[in-house]
Amino acid sequence: MNRQQITDRLLDILRSAADDESVADRCTEDSLLQTDLGLSSVNMLYTVIAIEETFGIIFDDVTVLSFRTFGDVVDYVERKLS
Amino acid sequence: MIYTTDREIFRKYTDPEEFGKIKEYGSVTEMWEAILPQYADRVAVEDEGVKHTFSELENDAARFRPLIGTGRRVGILCRNGYGAVKAYIAAVTGGCTAVILPPQLPADAVFGCCMKLGVNELVYDPALADSLATVKKAAPSLPLISVDDASPDRSPVVPAAPSDPCVIMFTGGTTGRSKGALLSHRAVMEGTVNGCYGYKGVFGQRYLLVLPLSHVFGLIRNLMTSLYTGSALFICRNNKDMFRDIAVFRPTVLVLVPALADMALSLSRKFGRNMLGDDLKYIICGAAAVSPYLIQEYPKMGISLLAGYGLTESANLVSGNPESQRKPESVGIPYPHQQLRIEDGELWLRGDNMMDCYVGDEAETAAAYTDGWFRTGDLARIDEDGFLYITGRIKEIIVLPNGENVSPAEVEARFNEPAFIRDSQVFEDVTESGAHILALEVVPRMEALAGAEGDPKEIIVSALNKINDSLPPYQRVSRIVVRDSDFERTPSMKIKRYNKCK
Repeated sequence: MNRQQITDRLLDILRSAADDESVADRCTEDSLLQTDLGLSSVNMLYTVIAIEETFGIIFDDVTVLSFRTFGDVVDYVERKLS
Repeated sequence: MIYTTDREIFRKYTDPEEFGKIKEYGSVTEMWEAILPQYADRVAVEDEGVKHTFSELENDAARFRPLIGTGRRVGILCRNGYGAVKAYIAAVTGGCTAVILPPQLPADAVFGCCMKLGVNELVYDPALADSLATVKKAAPSLPLISVDDASPDRSPVVPAAPSDPCVIMFTGGTTGRSKGALLSHRAVMEGTVNGCYGYKGVFGQRYLLVLPLSHVFGLIRNLMTSLYTGSALFICRNNKDMFRDIAVFRPTVLVLVPALADMALSLSRKFGRNMLGDDLKYIICGAAAVSPYLIQEYPKMGISLLAGYGLTESANLVSGNPESQRKPESVGIPYPHQQLRIEDGELWLRGDNMMDCYVGDEAETAAAYTDGWFRTGDLARIDEDGFLYITGRIKEIIVLPNGENVSPAEVEARFNEPAFIRDSQVFEDVTESGAHILALEVVPRMEALAGAEGDPKEIIVSALNKINDSLPPYQRVSRIVVRDSDFERTPSMKIKRYNKCK
């Protein structure tokens, strides 16, 4: 899966995590998950669980709040899949 | 008018045989001694792949009691785990008072709590050793005990009177500053037993622990009722693993805050399967307002979601919805041994489940009561069938959908630290999509930035983001706005607080 495909799937997860269609339009790799995208800790938990389900990966010793930007998440998933 | 209920009101909602088994005990110790012979070989706790029976739990507690002594105030700073359960049981059945500290507390706050709450010794989880830094420096004589330690000797349980202190629970409380609510053995047992009323399939269940034990909902409704009913408690170590744990353990009862129940429902929809497992019968939901939507949607998955209402100061449970007669807008029927009264719309409480005081805070304690009644700060009404409804909050304290209590003043104090911040306001806001978030607005002091290089607003936002990142997760804001103008002020020049969620 290339970076663009990962990003597309992650944006889909973000839309449902935030329950907000517009969140994907506002999102760039530099977007801060909490302040820019307005994700709460529960939204972040949803995101992590949905990523694990969608990509069939398991996050290792990562706390739900250890990502700052959307790009950090893309990087992490890309690394896990490679 | 004073409202009271009798336990008999719950008989028709409970299995008759089980109703007869719901016994009241004067103390946690008395309960523990009564249930041990009954449930000795049953699994009490399953954690990290290891099953611990009730008798093993008592054995391990007996080898921990000599380390903590008796008549002491024992701080417990542990992540959810078997060790935390063992330390808690050892303390409260060993003549000690357990002071359960939230594991995410930063080192300075751990020290502050130990001092304010009069902790005599601190049981710690080695994984949280960094959080002891301030205690080690500023209170080097405070004994520190690893939760993994065990004595070669055993100490038996120590009887307790109903009025003896049992636990001190951390709470945002009524006026915003963090406090420790002291609950007696009687209060803890009230909360524990009340968790048995109103549904069928009470004893011998399988519970999953997702909530922190430092929250009354986790400690009392989840752990204590699970032990009391001879149920097995599976400890979920990380919330993100909740659904994998559920697939393995197949719980029959879940105790959840609304935000988690909401998340489980939307994930189940997204992935087209019941992620909570086919064995789950009940979700006990509370600690924040429960959306009627959840109560209506869950039965479609064969799960009853029973909403309730409670406070730290009331040993968790004030009221709960019985199964089969559901009023989605209500928080249920008040449990026995309490009195409820509504004054100017505000709910006042009195009863065996109420706290004794805020420890070390006489002024706060006095301010919380009128004529012996605890004023909840919640606006309420009771209908003709005796169901309670919470209609709003009159306090400043913010309760987010995940059940966390946030004191705006406490968080604002941190954001006010930089010289270029004149004032700030932390408040609950609703996004366009209806999500409740914590938001921050600041009024900058631009002169403090005179001569600084770069865009002043960018400097401010970046500094505030850093402060935000240093806060405990539940206090972090999701939106930061730098205002061009001051806040609206009251005649006495105080900030006029936003009221966006009432």
